[in-house]
Amino acid sequence: MLDSPSHTSDDELLRLTRAGDEKAFLTFYRKHQGAVFRFALQMSGKLEIAEEVTQDVFMVVMSTPQKFDPKRGSANAYLYGIARNLVLRSLDKERPYLTVLDDPDGELHSKLAGEQDLASEVAQTERIEFLRKAVLALPPAYREVVVLCDLTEMDYAAAAEVLGCAIGTVRSRLHRARALLMEKMRATERCAV
Amino acid sequence: MSENERELVEGLRALASAEPREASSRIEKTLLATFRARAERRRRAVWGSVVVAGGIAAMLIVFLWVSAVQSAKRQAASVHPAVVATAGDASEPDASEPAVVSAQYALDSDDPAASFYPLPEADGLPPAETTMVVRVEMPLSSLRLMGLPFGESSGADLVQADVLLGQDGLARGVRLIQ
Repeated sequence: MLDSPSHTSDDELLRLTRAGDEKAFLTFYRKHQGAVFRFALQMSGKLEIAEEVTQDVFMVVMSTPQKFDPKRGSANAYLYGIARNLVLRSLDKERPYLTVLDDPDGELHSKLAGEQDLASEVAQTERIEFLRKAVLALPPAYREVVVLCDLTEMDYAAAAEVLGCAIGTVRSRLHRARALLMEKMRATERCAV
Repeated sequence: MSENERELVEGLRALASAEPREASSRIEKTLLATFRARAERRRRAVWGSVVVAGGIAAMLIVFLWVSAVQSAKRQAASVHPAVVATAGDASEPDASEPAVVSAQYALDSDDPAASFYPLPEADGLPPAETTMVVRVEMPLSSLRLMGLPFGESSGADLVQADVLLGQDGLARGVRLIQ
């Protein structure tokens, strides 16, 4: 049984989960769900997909906790790996990716911005909204490095572990993704002028 | 990092902090319910296995017990005639000796096959692979009825004889002790 959840390692939590310890599973879920949910949301731009992916990731953990091997990487990398596959599958099922011109009903904006006072923070909100759409418009290979390295602030080595590629690949994809985003920003500024 | 790039990264950080931080509590409830259902299923499966294993073990024990009882009955039935045969003559010094003598013993004693009179009915039986010798006491007239060449005497004359049994329990031959 789980005694001190905060000090228990992920490996131990998953071992206890395998043995049917509900508390251990709940502790593991609460520890990691935020990161998985944000990653899925930032990758898909849709709350429904993000929630579905989060649920599915932990369903996988629940049904096959023995698949996690601490020697092969951290629990975070393991969870991001599952989430990444699920998000990409969801995106394949829907449109390949959103474009800046998509989301005509402002679905994302209204859901995510909520009841904020837009009048007082209109410039900042518009900028964030523009960036969100620009990130979602990136091809998945570039989007995931931006989400992992810039939005989640993961280091290159950890991102490479999640993506299953070399650190150099992460670095070059991130460089290219940032260039694409800056290009979009400049184009928008030119249009505004 | 250029000025534009720094500005972009700052904007992305602002975007990250503007996003919802957590999944809804509905997911936690769903996962918890699923976890409990799975645990319950697993508990049932374990108990089911225990019950099935217990049933199989009980059946095995009953089967072994019945086999042992039947085997004991068969053994008792094969010894019985000899015991009856020897129990009647208490004056005999070797009455308490085992009446069943192993075939090996019989074979070792000066070509025992030659010392047995073959029974006429034994001709139609398959050859004996393993044999057992049973000592009995019987009227001399019975030996004549078996077709063996013994002279006339009163039916009350009892003689001791060894009967050679095959693996099927059927008599193959007989020899007189007295």
